[in-house]
Order: sequence, then C-alpha cells, then structure tokens
Amino acid sequence: MTTLAPKPAPSPTTSAQKAGAVLRAVNVRKTYQLGRTSVPVLRGVDFQVRHGEFVAILGASGSGKSTLLHLLGGLDSVDRSDDQPPTSILFEDIDLARISAGRLDNYRRRRVGFVFQFYHLLPELNILQNVVIAAMTAMGSFEYWRTKSAIRDRAAELLERVGLKERLSHKPAELSGGERQRVAIARALINQPDLLLADEPTGNLDRATGGSILDLFSDLHRRGQTMVVVTHDEHTAARADRVVRLVDGKVQG
Amino acid sequence: MYQLLLTKRYLSSKIMPLLAALAVALCTAMVIIVWSVMGGFLVMLINSGRTLVGDVSISWPVTGFAHYEDLIKRLEADPEIAGATPMIETYGLIGLPDGRTETVQVRGIDGPSFAKVTEWNDILYWRPKDAPDPKDTGSSDMRLRRKEVWQQIYEGGKKLTRLERSKAHPEGIDRPGVVPGISVSGFNFREKWGFFPGTPYIRTREGDKTPAEMLMLPVDGYVTLNVLPMDSKGRAIEMVARKFPVANEFHSGLYEIDHRTVFVQLGALQDMLKMNRAQRVKEGTGGVVRKGDREEFAAPVVIGEEPARVTNILVRGKRDTFDPKDADKLAERCRQIYGAFAEAHPNEVPDLLSIRIQTWADLNQTMISAVKKETALVLFIFSFVSLTAVFLVLAIFWAMVSEKTRDIGILRAVGASRSGVAGLWLLYGAAIGITGSALGFALAYLIVSNINGIHEWLGERLGLYIWDPRIYYFSRIPSDLQASNVAIVLAGGVVASCLGALIPAARAARMHPVRALRFE
Repeated sequence: MTTLAPKPAPSPTTSAQKAGAVLRAVNVRKTYQLGRTSVPVLRGVDFQVRHGEFVAILGASGSGKSTLLHLLGGLDSVDRSDDQPPTSILFEDIDLARISAGRLDNYRRRRVGFVFQFYHLLPELNILQNVVIAAMTAMGSFEYWRTKSAIRDRAAELLERVGLKERLSHKPAELSGGERQRVAIARALINQPDLLLADEPTGNLDRATGGSILDLFSDLHRRGQTMVVVTHDEHTAARADRVVRLVDGKVQG
Repeated sequence: MYQLLLTKRYLSSKIMPLLAALAVALCTAMVIIVWSVMGGFLVMLINSGRTLVGDVSISWPVTGFAHYEDLIKRLEADPEIAGATPMIETYGLIGLPDGRTETVQVRGIDGPSFAKVTEWNDILYWRPKDAPDPKDTGSSDMRLRRKEVWQQIYEGGKKLTRLERSKAHPEGIDRPGVVPGISVSGFNFREKWGFFPGTPYIRTREGDKTPAEMLMLPVDGYVTLNVLPMDSKGRAIEMVARKFPVANEFHSGLYEIDHRTVFVQLGALQDMLKMNRAQRVKEGTGGVVRKGDREEFAAPVVIGEEPARVTNILVRGKRDTFDPKDADKLAERCRQIYGAFAEAHPNEVPDLLSIRIQTWADLNQTMISAVKKETALVLFIFSFVSLTAVFLVLAIFWAMVSEKTRDIGILRAVGASRSGVAGLWLLYGAAIGITGSALGFALAYLIVSNINGIHEWLGERLGLYIWDPRIYYFSRIPSDLQASNVAIVLAGGVVASCLGALIPAARAARMHPVRALRFE
C-alpha cells in the first residue's frame, strides 16, 4: 500500500508506474461562501495526471484553476456532502480528504512542491535559507543537524541549476522577478517531490523572463518531473504534454 | 528547526519585538529592584536588630536573677558559644542639659564583655575619623580634627567611663558614664545625607537651632538618669536619680533605638536599682536600740548575702546565626545550659520553664514580620503591575502575526504543521522573554549596584529625594541581590512573554493556508 510517510530513496521508475495515474481528481467541487452568497468555483472537475506527465490547466481568470491547484496540493479541502455524488482527490489512490492533518502536512512537505505566481519567498531569509527552510519543515531537529551540510549542498546545487549560484546570500528584495521565481522553483524541488504544482508561474514576468522559466520547467519535465501548471496563457500551456481546459468550474471537452 | 531560524531572523530585523523585549525588561528590572531593596532593607533591619542583642537573650525582666556570673561561666564553657555578657534592661527618665526630660530605655552593660557579644565598639559614634563622608564636601565633621580627643572619648565609650581631671586628680580619673543614642539628646542634627556632622547645639527654645551655648556632650556634658528600683519581689522602692557624665554616643542606625536608649555602666545601674551585692540581715535587728537609759546604733545581724542581679544575659554563638534556624539551635543549647544552672541554684533563680530564652529573630519579630509582609505586599503589587508585560507582548505579537500572515501561509504550503507554526510564535515569545529578562537583569544590576549614587544624583540635579535618611532607619538605601530571587523573576519574565505569545500563536496556527497566502 502506498503511504504518505517519508519517501524512500528514489528508485528507477518502472514503465508500469509511468503508465499509472499519480493524481486523480474525481468530481471535484468547491464552493466559497461570500457572506450569505454561495459562489460555486468548481462544479465537478474530473481529470488525472500520470507519472512523468506535464499537464497544463488552462482557464480564464475566475475559472477556478488556482482553487483546483490548492486542492490538488492539500492546501484546501473539497466540498463533501451526502446529497451530492462522491468527490475526491486521490494521490496514488489515497483520498486526501480522508487522511489526518498530520499526514496531509507530510504530503505537502514530501510529495508536492509549490510554485506561486507571486513567488512567496520569506523576506527575512536569504535565498539559500529560503530553499533550505522547505527541507527543515520535513525533518526533526536531530535529523536536520545530522544532514545539515548535505541539505545546504543540495540547496546550493539547485540554486546553481536555476542560475543563482552567485546570489546565495542575497535577500529576495535584492532579486528580480525572474530570479525570485527561480528561487521558488529551487525551493519546490528541495524535497524531491513527486509532483510539482505551479500557479501562473510566469504570470508576473515579462515574456522573455517567463520564457526562461518555462524552459526550466521543460528541462525538469525532460528529467522526469511530474508537473501540473495552471495558467491563462496559451503559450505557457503549449509547453505541456496535455492541456486541461477549465471553463466555469468544469473541464471542457 | 525552521522555528529557530525564523526566530533569529525576526528578532534581528524588526523593531516591534524589541519593543516587546523592552517591556519585559522594564517589568523584570522593576521587580528585581524592588525585591533587592526590600530584601536589603530586611537584612539591614535584622543585622541592626542583632547589633545590640547578640544571638540569644536569656532574660528575667524587672527583678532580674542572681548568680549570673556562674551562668556566664557555664555558657562560655560551651564550644558553640563565643561569649556571654550581663545586662540590665529597665525604663527611666533622662534629664538633659537644656532642661528637657525624656523617657528612655536604660541598659546597664559591662562594656568590654558587651563588645564580645554585640557590635558595641563599632557603633560608638564619637571616634577619630580619617576621611570625611563622601557627601561631607566641606569636611565639616569635627571627628576629622583633634583626633587625640576623640580617641580618648572612644576609649571611654568602650568602658562607659569619662576621664575627668580636677585639682585633686590632675592626671584624671575614670568616672562611670552613660552612652545615649545619637538622637536622644536632640543636639545632634542629622544631615540629609545621613551623618551627624558633629556640631553641638543647645536648643534653648523649641524649634530654635541657634548655638546659644557650645556644648559637646561627650566632652563636657552631663545628664541625669532617674530609675525606679524594685526589690527582689518586684515592689517599687523610691525613685533614684544620679548625674552621669556622657562618655560617648552611639549610632546603631535604628532610629527607635538611637532615639530612646541610654547605656550606662552595669555596676552603676545595679547600684541605682539595688541589684548589686547586698547583705541579708535578720529582721528586727540593727538600727537604734535602747540600752538602759541610752539609745545607740546597733549593727544589724547579718545572716547571709544577696548576690548581685541582672535582667538579661546576651549570648553570641561561634557560628554565624543569620538564619533563624541556627539561632533556634543556639537558643536550645542555652536552654540546656540554663537547666543545669537552675538545678545548681534551686529556689534562687527562675526555673527553666519560667525563664525567657529568645533569639534575635524572636526579639525583633514584630519589626521583621512587618517588613516581610510589606515586602510580600509590594512584590505582589509590582508583579501584578508587571502582568501588563503579558498584554503588551500579546498586543505586539497579535500585530506581528497579522503582518506575517503571508509568511504563515508560505510555511504551511511547504509543509509546516499547525503545531509547528504555533511553536514558531511560542519560541519567538520565549526568545523575547529571554532577551527582555536578560536586559532587565542587566538594568536592575546596574541600578541596584549604583542605587545610592543614582539617588544622590537625582537629589542633586532634580531635588528628588525618594529615600530621606532623616526619616528612614538607615542612612543609605540598602539592597540585597539574591541569585534565587533573580532567577524567579527572570523565569517569570520568560513565562509572561510566552503567555503573551500564546493567543497570537493559536491564531497563527488556526490560519487557513490559502487565505493566509492570499493575504494582502
């Protein structure tokens, strides 16, 4: 049985695993309450992501794509009620809505990595610390102290891969938008997640910078990283293996 | 682990946590200062209380008890006892050179042995002085000059005698004298800095401080002592008055004692109170008797001797008995010795059940417990006031949690648990508490170590005298910085800070990660 416990050392991915779905959204619904008004955002979304796949969720502003990404990453929970058809998000066949808060935290720590449109870096930390802190949340004090130098080396290596080797001690405020997004990508990768979730990763960048970020995603994809990117931009979506179009809270077509 | 990293960063990059630490620092410093000063006050009070009574007092008031030399010999034979001294304690009236009469407590002592048990030689005020008090900028203290005179007066004070020269005795003879407290006569005016500059005045009219007549009590002053003797049954005999030269004056630091106590040579007081050695005569014998047609004086028939009496024996232990429990042990030892003494003198001295054996703590109980209660009350009030630190930390942390909402969302997104986020803020609270407490301790240490200097500075610059030595018992502000008390206050500072962080920490933990990420 697959668990959400700390992940064992990476092993070569088999073709059977590659073929299977790592993530499945089944009739996903989400309604927000604005005062007395209920605003349905997702009205029964079904789709799946296979191992190693790069899926783009394309939709206009307000279509519910960010909400869907938050649900997929365990940051929010789906609506469940007895008078509606069953709704669930299954990661390796485990229903995220049915696991404990602790296991859900663990899922976010080790199985998924987030990249946000507005980077969401911690302003007090330098970029190396911004990457390392994601590893810190995944381990206890003793484990961290034991593996501290290895973690720092890995963070530095990731930052080197995204082209920020010379900026390790810089604070986010000293970086450009594109550089900040690269730090966010390095942070998302530090715990070697099964799934990378990106919310409009180029939405706040100019075309050239956005292009370089997408190149980075393509490179990651080539190395076997499973990814879901939500975007309103056709060009960005065009980089993906598959595009899921979200219109008015439902998958189109 | 990430909590530690973020706590370090938040501490060094924000002004708000420093304000919270400052609030904790001020509160802890305030409580430490109050506790140190009140504690110092208590220690000083206890020390002063012991200054004139030693460690244990064995007493039989008013009529006194006999064979005290034997009791002293037995006490001094004990390896735990450093010395014992006789004393008579009674009340009387003192007639002063300006015509006033005051009620005083009269204590008859044997100077040299009294000095072995108490701090007698240290509290004699008139003695040569090498350097002026720091505040005596004009060197107005007359003890700085004519040191040979003060040395002679000091030596006289030790023995309670004054060297008096006359035509008949040009080399001088030691006459039994009295040593009143420095404030008994009313001629010694205390400076605002607590010392008596030694300028004698005679108050000719009430409120008039004109030196109408220069008179230095220990040099040429006399006082009259009036006491009421009692017989061994406690019946009053006729009031006895006697004029004594003033040998010296003492300054114990306790106003009540310095204002109302006069020491006199033991033998002289025994004589006045009819407590000296006397012959016991057969009743009906002696006096004028008729022999035939003549009347003549006949000596009474002596049937025995009445030994001299004293009301107290003061005892000093070899070990320091600053702890009341040690004093209790010494008192118990004295009780055993007195038991053997009473058995050796049946029907001549009070029995063991009746005699009063009290420690210095028992004798000063009223004052000590009053100060202890006052200390507890003041500490309670200040600790309660210091609780404001909890609310200050709460308010500041509440604002900080709001400001850091997005950080909380980011941490949750990378896998931080609710308890981890709460832990971050609690750790932050503890760090503020530790920083604040450390700062508070440093501040308190600085103030307590220099409290008299600060007080003097405030007085000089702003005319602000919080501690007026003319009113308080002591001339300097006392302080006693106890490590255990400091530890309690510092721990309290940390706990208060953590308590203040508790509600904001819970709020941070309950934040919805998505709403936190979208926080503008």
